[in-house]
Amino acid sequence: MSEKTLTSLLEAAARRRPDEPALSWKAARWSYAQLSGAAAATAAFLQTRGAAPGDRIALLFRNSPHYVAAYYGTLAAGCVTVPLNPHEHAQVLARQMEHSQSQLLLGDPAHPEWSAIAELAVAAGAEAIEVPSEDDAGTHARYLRQMGGPAATGGAGPAPDALATIIYTSGTTGRPKGVMLSHRNLASNTGAIVEYLGLTPEDRGIAVLPFQFSYGNSVLHTHLSIGAELLLEDSIAYPHAVLQRMADEGVTGFSGVPSTFALLLSRCELTAYDLRKLRYLTQAGGPMPKANIQRLRAQLPGARLFVMYGQTEASARLSYLPPERLEDKLGSVGIAIPGVELAVQRADGVPANPNEVGEIVARGPNVMQGYLNDVQATHEALRDGWLHTGDLGHCDDDGFLYIDGRAVEMIKVGAFRVSPQEVEEVIAAIPGVAEVGVTAVPDELLGQAIKAVIVLKDGAHLDVRTVKAHCRQNLAMYKVPKLVVFAGTLPYTATGKVRRLGLA
Amino acid sequence: MSDPLHDQVRRFILENYLFTDDPAQLGLDDSLLGRGIVDSTGMLEIILFIEEQLGVKVADSEMIPENLDSVNRIAAFVTSKRKAA
Repeated sequence: MSEKTLTSLLEAAARRRPDEPALSWKAARWSYAQLSGAAAATAAFLQTRGAAPGDRIALLFRNSPHYVAAYYGTLAAGCVTVPLNPHEHAQVLARQMEHSQSQLLLGDPAHPEWSAIAELAVAAGAEAIEVPSEDDAGTHARYLRQMGGPAATGGAGPAPDALATIIYTSGTTGRPKGVMLSHRNLASNTGAIVEYLGLTPEDRGIAVLPFQFSYGNSVLHTHLSIGAELLLEDSIAYPHAVLQRMADEGVTGFSGVPSTFALLLSRCELTAYDLRKLRYLTQAGGPMPKANIQRLRAQLPGARLFVMYGQTEASARLSYLPPERLEDKLGSVGIAIPGVELAVQRADGVPANPNEVGEIVARGPNVMQGYLNDVQATHEALRDGWLHTGDLGHCDDDGFLYIDGRAVEMIKVGAFRVSPQEVEEVIAAIPGVAEVGVTAVPDELLGQAIKAVIVLKDGAHLDVRTVKAHCRQNLAMYKVPKLVVFAGTLPYTATGKVRRLGLA
Repeated sequence: MSDPLHDQVRRFILENYLFTDDPAQLGLDDSLLGRGIVDSTGMLEIILFIEEQLGVKVADSEMIPENLDSVNRIAAFVTSKRKAA
């Protein structure tokens, strides 16, 4: 039997359960036959546009069936998806399109950045194709019409080791970081997650995390790979509406980052909703305060909570804490997922002893091919047969992994990783700014918030609002510093680098 | 329609999410989420603003786009809650 890929798994699900719902979004439900057909139509459409295997196709959508059909259709055509962050500004996305040599952009014209990105794409010689997704009824039929009608499914499909997707993990102006994942990477990680969560075709999940990032991406693929149903949401901005939908539709699984759960718990009494069918929760994306873990467990005693750890460079997932160990291993991110090996190493590559802090490394079929067009960063991350995560951690005597910090400086704002350098570069471009340092400060809801400390040039005047407005125009909303302060000088290390910890 | 309540709501959003005092930057019917003006935490802050600055309690079941997704909707919601109080 040939090795499975996401596209072959979707086709198999469509053969087994053609009329069962795959995706539910607003008033529309797409069956497996419809989703598989829409993906095939997309693949045929791309071929008529001259797209060849290996070509990169950029996608700009919020969570919607249209995104999913475009994503799977791109894979079925042997092309490579480049999911664009729907929170990011057009100029950043245009750089990612250029960096990934995407010649075709599919996207929703209702997206606030669509006109700008389409214009930039066309100016750069690419083609921008509108795929409207804002109508509530008949969305499947309209999507098919948009793609030129039905097409045959099947065919040989892409090779497992071919490139499947490029996910940009940071938009740093000078150096876009595009994680290259193969079909095997995605399919193997999807299979491992399905296994430890015990997902079945009877499951009905709900997606509130954006599909363009690895966590949301894995929620999508795990459900589609086994023929389960996924309800689509775009965010957790209206927590009551999400909870009510979960109760009304008998949702069985929910995935979030710490801020997702903090938002749910901050305004809503979970016991007020009939969530009896909710059998599991997953949480990744940084440590969740123990108080919130305990509140979740108290308010949802019937749902098993999986605490997990991973990164985009590992497709998504590296470890999980079996829920039955949550009490005695509270604070741990658990053990390696099936098929993956995890270790903690000293700086010289020698395995660390139990309880000794070192760098977390991993190997397995989920580890990326590398960073696009960046040999040096790839070499730093993939050394001696291991993925070097940049995270510090230790294993206890029973082999359970604990995270102790990050070797590479990154700020974690809710679900998002933010490079302090990127924010510094943007602020440094404001006239009057002599120096700037950006760091993380604790935030009750988001885990961390961004703080910028600015030193002005002699005689220059600048106010907080001007700084924030400039950031808002040049950065995604979640990258805008929550705190902006002015100082006479910045703290420096002996080697002349800004000492970020001293800024907090 | 614009009145002191609309102005107060619009000013809060302009000041905290668009970092400007130019009312032309935010239409009264603009979708706050659809235009990417606020995100999930921003919506929570708007709810706190409604409760603390406008003196109207927002129940779980009232946290829906129909009540909160534009300046006009927020103003209409606050007005109806004040009348009912």
